[in-house]
Amino acid sequence: MSRDSGRQADAVSRRKYLLTSAAVGVAGLAGCSGNSGDGGDGGDGGDGGDGSDGSDEGSNSMSSGSSGPATVTAEGSSTVYPISNKGSSYWNSNSPASDGEYWGSNDEGSVAGWDQIDTDQNIADYFASLYGFETTGERSNPPFATRVALSHSGTGCEAVRDGLVDIGNSSGPITAELDISEDQRDENYVDHVVGRDGQPVFVSQSIYDSGVEQLTGDQIRGIYQGDITNWSDVGGPDQEIYVVGRAEGSGTDTSFRLNMLGDADAPMDVDTRLGQNQQVQQVLQDNDNAIGYMALAFSGSGIQAIAIDFEGTVYRPDPDAENTIFDSEYPLNRDLHMYTRINEETPDGTDMREAAFLNMFLTDFGQKTFVEDVNYITLPTSDIEAEREKLPDQA
Amino acid sequence: MSLSTPKSDWRAGIERRLTRTREFVHDTDPEALGVVLVSMGSLLAAFVGFLLASPWTAVPLGTFLIGTGYGWARHQALVARAVTFAMTTVTLVTLGLIVVFIFAESIPAFRYETASAFGVSVPGLGMFAQARWDAVSEPVRYSLLPMIHGTVMVTTIATLVAAPLGVAAALFIAEIAPPRVRELVKPGIEILAGIPSIVYGFIGFTVINPWASDAFALNGGSTYLFVGMVVGLMALPTVVSVAEDALTSVPDVMKNGSLALGATDWQSMTSITLPAAFSGVSAAVLLGVGRAIGETMAATVMLAGVPRISEPLVNVFYGYETLTSLIARGYGSANGVHESALFAAGVVLFVTVLCLSVASQYIEARMRRRLGGAE
Repeated sequence: MSRDSGRQADAVSRRKYLLTSAAVGVAGLAGCSGNSGDGGDGGDGGDGGDGSDGSDEGSNSMSSGSSGPATVTAEGSSTVYPISNKGSSYWNSNSPASDGEYWGSNDEGSVAGWDQIDTDQNIADYFASLYGFETTGERSNPPFATRVALSHSGTGCEAVRDGLVDIGNSSGPITAELDISEDQRDENYVDHVVGRDGQPVFVSQSIYDSGVEQLTGDQIRGIYQGDITNWSDVGGPDQEIYVVGRAEGSGTDTSFRLNMLGDADAPMDVDTRLGQNQQVQQVLQDNDNAIGYMALAFSGSGIQAIAIDFEGTVYRPDPDAENTIFDSEYPLNRDLHMYTRINEETPDGTDMREAAFLNMFLTDFGQKTFVEDVNYITLPTSDIEAEREKLPDQA
Repeated sequence: MSLSTPKSDWRAGIERRLTRTREFVHDTDPEALGVVLVSMGSLLAAFVGFLLASPWTAVPLGTFLIGTGYGWARHQALVARAVTFAMTTVTLVTLGLIVVFIFAESIPAFRYETASAFGVSVPGLGMFAQARWDAVSEPVRYSLLPMIHGTVMVTTIATLVAAPLGVAAALFIAEIAPPRVRELVKPGIEILAGIPSIVYGFIGFTVINPWASDAFALNGGSTYLFVGMVVGLMALPTVVSVAEDALTSVPDVMKNGSLALGATDWQSMTSITLPAAFSGVSAAVLLGVGRAIGETMAATVMLAGVPRISEPLVNVFYGYETLTSLIARGYGSANGVHESALFAAGVVLFVTVLCLSVASQYIEARMRRRLGGAE
């Protein structure tokens, strides 16, 4: 019922509602503490920012069960999940600087980007202390925990809108996922881009082997809009094309329509729609006449990424080519977002806990470990600087 | 008395009830009565608090628990009566709230799909009067016809699989199998019911679909035929166990009478046992159909997920979408009217399954009447 998108437009009444419900929530907490559902929501997050000296955390109302700042919770897109989840796992491990494999350096080696960090502190201690949190110095005991749930872009955006989680992971822009205007987005959310995802077009191995190694943008448009139905029309064997699309209205579907077909509402004519990257991978392997698009992270044997010719520029799936599908100019690349919510407690939109966690992704170490190592595309330096500007000042 | 008008009859009824209540109150320990009133009253208050999402809901709920706990120790019989009644009510109220919620959520879609028939605009008519479903590109339409067609196809095929196999298996277990075989086969069939539906779906997606794609030269392997067969297998345990109950509930005297007249085992089965248990066996099949309609995972994983109607209508070598798979596939990325249209699909499913369940209850009741109270 609160999903009514009309409410988005009326930001004033929504804030009043939030304020009232927060007040009611505090009243309720006074009666019965240990309400774990309140522990993770955005409202409590503000307290984490206030008590940044860390010592008096236990005495205020946000201490839901354990002492210290509340867990940072995130939910959303399966595409952002590998980045977010790997970051969360590293964070929760709080590995010491002597580990060498996951954090820090020793005789056997050091982590990527270590020369810029070079600290004695454990991983989560280091990033949390940048935002004024007290360190624990213990492995597996970070200053505050992080938790990432897996669902869909739209669900993640709804969850951050409704204050169910701190961070909403989305592979599509929140304006399209929640159907809101850009003004509403700027007023209510902060968009943290942590990496890029290419949406390469893949074909079944036998199609690739029979000579379809490159398609033009117009040919792909024709295939996905039902004008081209046989591989022989694009230089392949005389076989029907099995066109694989993605779940109607999902982040992947929306950005493909927008970037490839020219409009987020562009009509499509596909043979199947699949929800998960893994399913697309499986179907492309199982059929010998299929074409589909999916996150780069899911490439594997039995399928081949093809080069695409966009208005004369050929983007190749080869990292050493002049123009590659990893370039930010490649039209099918999309930003991977982690949204935070602007509300009464956090007018900047990002509280200290969220900032400490997000900042980890915006270092050379984070980009290499959490973005590049899971086959996504890292942000150029200028973009990293711009993303850091969105975070509150470090302590 | 028999000449009295219905109105005075109705009045007398109320008066009788009032007198009985007064007597009951008079005869019962006032403390017990107080405890029951307090605990039931606070349960009601807790329910109201829950509906209003009040943070104070815990208070009446606590009062209810304490009151009931105290009453259970002191006046068990009376409190037990009240509590069992309250629990039954809770079940029904839960059902009612779910129904109200589904219907309320589907209203925007029904309103969006208003179409006029004979000059009268009917909300929701557009869902059944045209066949276009497209939630993204213009014109955005939410027809449920393709999904209803898919559900009918899958359910029909599933029934064609589950009914003959299920009834035959039930007949074997109830009438033919020696006791030792029966003891082995019955639990086996019940274990079949315990396999999670995603397992069937996964096997279908990774084994059957690719095979069907090759074997029948299909463009992609999604077919109503194989989804229907898989769902039929899943409905099988329901059919077998209910039909077997119906067959064993046929009184032995009927069978013995037939055998005594010189009929063979097979003759008494076909001319006595099966006809006598016909209502129960039909109820079993109907329950299986209900299971097939509601099956979600296997259909979602195996079907193509494109809302379209196959050409010609009865072509089972297409596999597009069913009502349940539409919801399962769409809920994550839907919002606004699209989400509401998924609830509308839920309404259609709910009404269908409700009708089936009422029909099977009616048939079961008829069977009881005909066989004179046999369980």
